[in-house]
Amino acid sequence: MQILNGSGVNKAFGGRKAVDNVDFHVDENEILGLIGPNGAGKTTLFNLISGAIKADSGTITYKGRVISGMKPYRICHMGLARTFQKAKNFPDMTVRENVLMGAVFGKKGTDNAAAERKTDEILSFVGLEDFRDKSPGDIALALQKRVEVARALATSPDVLMLDEVMAGLNPTEVGEAMELISKIRGSGVTIIMIEHVMKAIMSLCDRIIVLHHGQKIEEGTPEHISNSKTVIDVYLGE
Amino acid sequence: MLTTLINVLSSGLIMGGVYAIISMGLSMQYGVARILNVSHGEFIMLGAFLCFTLVRSHVHPILSMLLCVPVMFVIGFVLHRTIYKKLSDVSGSTAAFESNSMLVSFGLMFVVQNVALLLWGSEQKGYTFLMRSVKILGSPIALNRLLVLVFAVAISFAFYIFLERSRLGKAIRAVSQDPSAARLLGVRRTRVAAICFGIGAILAGCAGALITMINQINTSMGMNYTIIAIIVVVLGGMGSIPGSLLGGFILGFIGTVVNYIDPSLSLVAYYLIIIVLLLVKPSGLMGGKS
Ligand SMILES: Nc1ncnc2c1ncn2[C@@H]1O[C@H](COP(=O)(O)OP(=O)(O)OP(=O)(O)O)[C@@H](O)[C@H]1O
Ligand SMILES: [Mg+2]
Repeated sequence: MQILNGSGVNKAFGGRKAVDNVDFHVDENEILGLIGPNGAGKTTLFNLISGAIKADSGTITYKGRVISGMKPYRICHMGLARTFQKAKNFPDMTVRENVLMGAVFGKKGTDNAAAERKTDEILSFVGLEDFRDKSPGDIALALQKRVEVARALATSPDVLMLDEVMAGLNPTEVGEAMELISKIRGSGVTIIMIEHVMKAIMSLCDRIIVLHHGQKIEEGTPEHISNSKTVIDVYLGE
Repeated sequence: MLTTLINVLSSGLIMGGVYAIISMGLSMQYGVARILNVSHGEFIMLGAFLCFTLVRSHVHPILSMLLCVPVMFVIGFVLHRTIYKKLSDVSGSTAAFESNSMLVSFGLMFVVQNVALLLWGSEQKGYTFLMRSVKILGSPIALNRLLVLVFAVAISFAFYIFLERSRLGKAIRAVSQDPSAARLLGVRRTRVAAICFGIGAILAGCAGALITMINQINTSMGMNYTIIAIIVVVLGGMGSIPGSLLGGFILGFIGTVVNYIDPSLSLVAYYLIIIVLLLVKPSGLMGGKS
């Protein structure tokens, strides 16, 4: 069952194609990996799906409804959430307040008491209880990334898009992040993850899409991707 | 001596409260809607004349001030929904919108000023209200000043608490700290910006109404307040609401003391403060980020 689907999605910046005629789909409750060299267009694709920027052409449908062209807040209310490659935590709020923002505004008609409850639930789910009153600027990078994930989870998403949540983490932290991602999927959430940490991608993902210069050059299971000559050429050519 | 002290203290609180109110309005319009509203002072003037006109038609001054609230909100909100939203749609980037919107607010300043001039002329206007005085610690203080003091302080703190506690306040803080993250978390950014512009107009209007209760007004009074609000916003840190609250009271007190010594020096004192601040802490008292 497909929950998200894109066809012929295009986006150019000043004549340069960042996403070039990409077709993709995401199945319910799978973990889809999105990989590719720097500048391949991965983050741009997230921006297009979440409505942060508008596609030049192409259609994106989510749960059977066209979402391309919709305002970001509506896409979020429909259950699509994301994190940012460059952490975008609210600097003047505590960790808990950051997560609370997702809980208060992420779903339509959430009352305050429910949002507070949800926030505490999420904080313990991702293991941030001990840092709840800290400023996100004062905690380790791995924890900052976790705040981003928690804030997105607080919007009660059905699809969660993770943009390099493991970048800059040490091997132990990568392991912990992998555990968290499995746990999130276990709770019924569909996940799309952009990642350069191959170990994590290969062991977590059901399926992988490879982008290069904005184009989809390969798609398949982790085994298929690791044996693909096209993919190996692209990565060795880097 | 005590009389002087109480005089300076009450004047400082009145001036500081009024400055805090208008500066929080300007700060929010800039921090959330990204509009450096150069016509802010004209909204203060508009609030003042609206209140004055109502009082002339035998409406109680306090009721007149309360009536300013919805009227000013609608003016601000509609202005944003029409002109500024259009402008933001055609401006390619935030930086382009910031400079375009400032130019538009410049234009608006002249439009509002001239319309006001047509409607109310250029003479000083005013009314008398609660001129009796009461004794506080043995020093007389006029009732109207006491009332304005209470209102100014109450409004500025109530607004601060509203931002901290309410749902809308949370949305406002989220948008001012990271607009792109906020909208992807389900906050309706454009709507919040329009509401903020409306609230900024309310705060300007209320300040204007308060001013009529203790001072004479005229249609060219706005500019002076715009300058003061900009100074306070820079002092407190661009876009920081607590900064504007604190900055407003600081400037109010310094202004009062300088006024006591020599009224012609107050603007000089304000600029001095700004120069010193920009040398010592360029981001303002509470401007941590950026
Ligand atoms: N807002 C923008 N304006 C102009 N160019 C952009 C913009 N966003 C992305 N680009 C360009 O589009 C291309 C794809 O960028 P994108 O950020 O999507 O790559 P990426 O695959 O996420 O790379 P990385 O692995 O480094 O994060 C790059 O050439 C980038 O410079
Ligand atoms: Mg990227």
